[in-house]
Amino acid sequence: MNPWELIIQQPLINCLIVIASVFGGNFGVSIIILTIVINLAMLPLTLSQIRSSKKMMDLQPKLAELQKKHAKDKQKLAQEQMALYKETGIKPAGCLLTFVIQLPVWIALYQSIMLAMAIAPEGLLNLSSYLYHWEAVFNALPLSRSFLGLNLAEPNFILAIFVGITQWVQQKMAQAPSTDPRQAQQSQMMLWLFPMMFTLISISFPAGLPLYWVTNSIIRIIIQYKLAGWGGLSRKPKTDEGGRDKKYVDLISSAERKSTDEVGADIVITEQQQQPSKNRYLPGKDREKHRKRK
Amino acid sequence: MNQISRKKRRLSLTGKIFAVTVLLLVIGAIGFGCVKGLTAIGWSGGVVSDDTIYLGTQEGRLVAFNLTDESRLSAEKISAGSSGGGLFGCIPAGGGCAGGAGVAIYGTPYFTDELVYIAGYNGKVYAYNKENLATRWVYPREGYLEPIVGGVVVSDGRLYFGGSDGYVYALDAETGDFLWEADTRSEDYKRDKIWATPAIADGTMYIGSTNKVFYAFNTADGSRKWVFPTEGAVTATPLVVDGTVYIGSHDRYLYALNAADGTLKWKFMAENWFWAKPLLHDGKIYAACLDGKVYVLDAATGSKLNEFDLEEPLASDPVMHDDNVIFCTREGAIYSINTAQNSLRQLAVIDEGKVEINGPLAIHDGVIYIHTSDLLLRRVNAETGAILSSLVLSFGE
Repeated sequence: MNPWELIIQQPLINCLIVIASVFGGNFGVSIIILTIVINLAMLPLTLSQIRSSKKMMDLQPKLAELQKKHAKDKQKLAQEQMALYKETGIKPAGCLLTFVIQLPVWIALYQSIMLAMAIAPEGLLNLSSYLYHWEAVFNALPLSRSFLGLNLAEPNFILAIFVGITQWVQQKMAQAPSTDPRQAQQSQMMLWLFPMMFTLISISFPAGLPLYWVTNSIIRIIIQYKLAGWGGLSRKPKTDEGGRDKKYVDLISSAERKSTDEVGADIVITEQQQQPSKNRYLPGKDREKHRKRK
Repeated sequence: MNQISRKKRRLSLTGKIFAVTVLLLVIGAIGFGCVKGLTAIGWSGGVVSDDTIYLGTQEGRLVAFNLTDESRLSAEKISAGSSGGGLFGCIPAGGGCAGGAGVAIYGTPYFTDELVYIAGYNGKVYAYNKENLATRWVYPREGYLEPIVGGVVVSDGRLYFGGSDGYVYALDAETGDFLWEADTRSEDYKRDKIWATPAIADGTMYIGSTNKVFYAFNTADGSRKWVFPTEGAVTATPLVVDGTVYIGSHDRYLYALNAADGTLKWKFMAENWFWAKPLLHDGKIYAACLDGKVYVLDAATGSKLNEFDLEEPLASDPVMHDDNVIFCTREGAIYSINTAQNSLRQLAVIDEGKVEINGPLAIHDGVIYIHTSDLLLRRVNAETGAILSSLVLSFGE
């Protein structure tokens, strides 16, 4: 047994079996409980990841401002962005680092679920080498694959669809708005690509795996909601106010109030010009005004 | 100009993050790849009749090798069942899907004077003419049963087997006509997969189930004679000798039961599952266990006389050669236990543990035949341990 199997896989497999034995050998319950436990253990990392994402979201107006200011000088833009990240204490690679730490745990959990399910005869035979010499472990096997009318050893289309939906919701909630069209396009692509990919995989794999993914996504949605609300799910991308998000208008206008020398721009929109009611073309009223003038 | 090109070369922060994300996804994809043991591959053992060895290959066909001239004969490749494989080949239903291989065959073929029989993971039983391996009959003629993992046994013109649907079946061995089926479910026991090969003796069929119960059925009509509940799944083939049934279970016990009524004679506890069929020689039971040990027990009392630590799990049924019992570990180490001297000798190691061996061993004319996971039939001299040339089972499909 290699170190990965010895340190990670074996304890997880035995945990799954022991939990199942406590719940009458039900493997579905075991998957859900272990996924919850692992999520709780990883909560500090998850929280830091979500907080970091939220900070990143809040920083978007300032980033947009910088983008606008240094549209032609990408090197300068990068420098300014880095300075801003440093100033606000955001580490853009931080989210990724958290993900790097979490990834092996999720892979191990996935592998353990698949191994413990022992679908093919080879799987059952292999499972014997992972078992601790505990009576509860030996007596619990083979685990019952029936859960809420599902056969966890066979693919389930409905569960696969759930995987896609919950992953989309989770990703949408976590998605930061982007002012860079390329970045926005990438995010949009990821938003659809991953849920679709996981749905396709779920259609092909035993339902035990999608059950784990759905549970995981639901837990993440709950944590995300408690910490940052609905996030990207409630955000309306554009308003009538000059094509800007409502909540960013105040922040942007403060920059716009500055003189052209201060911001280095050619044109500065004044506060008066900023009033939407005065700038907007109102078909009925404007037509009347035009007639009166005539 | 230089500055511009440098700028172009330099990846933006977003680009870097995107690149790392892709890298992580690749790592994830590898980690989330098919876990070993998800696909049904098969481990059929060989059986020798008239200088010809018959076995089911991982490509899903019955193959016959003439051991004199090493000529090869093959039956038609059996077709996959109704479902399975999945988008990424991770569902074993209906047949093996390892690298696009055929239907998995686990049970060792069984032969009579005229016919050779095999059962496939696609849920069908096949009978072939021994001479040319032409198909004689298939059961069921239409459709498929649940996967069949255990082997078939023929006795008194009847063929018996158990299925993953939890039923045991009896067919007419000559025609493949259905005779009877028996359900393993009762008020006390739920129905679960049967992955074991039955044993037939004195008009009784003995077979274990993954529902943790060992059964005795009347071969005449399939009526239940007795049941013996254990604490673990029973996937081993029982050994029935002189009114005693020896059967290993996943609860780590090897049981000796009265064949007549299923009462317990004795039980012996090991440290892992008993997967292989035990062997009786000279009043001693030789039981290979997945804990890597071979236990030598008194057949009458079950008391441990000796144990040999082979250090690797044992899943293959052993064979007897003169006074020696031959065992093979899952990693391919072959050992010989001299029953007279009570001594252990390592005969050979196949491919330094790079192959997997789960199926029963076969022996003929002092040569051990081992079906390995790399689609070869390995041959080892039972006396000297010399590794002989292998027979190729693959048809390049």
